[in-house]
Amino acid sequence: MGHRSRNRNRFKEKTEFNPKYLLGGFFLICVVLIFVSYRYKDVFTPARVFVNNTITPMQSGIKTVGGFISDRFRIFSDIRRLLEENDRLKAQVDELKNENQILTQEKYELNWYRDLYDLDVKYSEYPKVAATVISREPNSYCNVFIIDKGTDNGIKKNMNVIAGNGLVGIITDVGKNWAKVRSIIDDDSSVSGMFLKTSDTCIVSGNIELLDKGYIDVSMINLKAEIYDNYEIVTSYISDKYLPGILIGYVSDVKVDAGRMSKEAYVTPVVDFQHLEAVFVITRLREQLDNLDEVISHDN
Amino acid sequence: MIIRGIAAILQILLLYLMQTGVFTSFALAGVVPDLLIIPVVAIAFTRGQNRGMVTGFVCGLLIDLTYSSFIGLFALMYMFIGFLSGFAHKIYDENDYTMPVILISISELFYNLLYYVFFYFLSGRLNIGFYLYRFMIPKVIYTVLVSLLLYRLFNLENIFFKRFDRE
Repeated sequence: MGHRSRNRNRFKEKTEFNPKYLLGGFFLICVVLIFVSYRYKDVFTPARVFVNNTITPMQSGIKTVGGFISDRFRIFSDIRRLLEENDRLKAQVDELKNENQILTQEKYELNWYRDLYDLDVKYSEYPKVAATVISREPNSYCNVFIIDKGTDNGIKKNMNVIAGNGLVGIITDVGKNWAKVRSIIDDDSSVSGMFLKTSDTCIVSGNIELLDKGYIDVSMINLKAEIYDNYEIVTSYISDKYLPGILIGYVSDVKVDAGRMSKEAYVTPVVDFQHLEAVFVITRLREQLDNLDEVISHDN
Repeated sequence: MIIRGIAAILQILLLYLMQTGVFTSFALAGVVPDLLIIPVVAIAFTRGQNRGMVTGFVCGLLIDLTYSSFIGLFALMYMFIGFLSGFAHKIYDENDYTMPVILISISELFYNLLYYVFFYFLSGRLNIGFYLYRFMIPKVIYTVLVSLLLYRLFNLENIFFKRFDRE
């Protein structure tokens, strides 16, 4: 019977379209698509928006199911780890209580710094929208993900995304009920940063090769800048997309770069990108902030 | 024919959702399996080059439209995988479960190499050893593990529909 069906197949294939022509046709279509979408970026936006608008509700649904299943799995595998962690955390709580007292004192100092650098419009006061990560880039090389809020909730392109108290990334695409976020650890990302203590500017850029070590690159630091480990990097004033004063992370391994023209270093982001679930989108754009400043200065 | 097409589209959609949504919670070594490679290779192997290419084109376009910054590259890569694995259709046998697994692992490696060349090598990241060790090999292993189960389902589906074709 196997023989007969093979014969049938061979017969069928002869009556079928020659695969080489189909390959050529598809190849042409793809090349044209690549060219057109690369040259004229907005031509395919309606198609993208349509596909994403259709898929997002399904993704939200399946994410709930997936989260439920993985939670069940984790309960079994995590119990022992959790018990150990519990003991460890209890000890840590005592430690932190002490530390907290010291920090409260330092907070006054920090406020003084903030006043000094005019960071009084703190990001905690910006209007925010809470969102959930519903899907991630399918190739696992990049750090691009999609959240479940879109233009319906007032989200626009280039809005900043934070989690906890640190910068996550920026909105690069937005639809009715979804938005695409490029995180700062993505290879294509580069953020204009600033050292909180010294006001020296720098460029924070993602680097996939450092992914497992948990940090990303900082470059273009002024050669004369006095930077030491654990200094905080925040987003700078000169960025045209990022709001100023959002914490990015803590610096380490400062060294002079190969060209001996500037310093470079690593920064450990404060956000845990591996387990990112809930994020906040700051619904104020950088330009709006600038306009606001102008209005205020006019008033004065 | 039409029922098969609709079934294939639904399966692709489901696999896409699994890949971007569910499997991100089950990432091993930080990688997610490329589930969409499996229907492309499975259909090319069980049903021939033409259908493999169409499946590849649809799968690639789905990724292009949702995650790529320009359209057509993933469609091209997946379509090419469908074309190449379709050559093995000549030796397709309903009871052969080794060949598709070999095909899927080669396709996955091929796809990842292309991806590396287009997105990293051309932008000056020459450290291929790192990408091979950190991303490509784990992805191939994970994808093959998932395909052991998934290919069976695709094959059963093919056998099931074939019965109707005969009648």
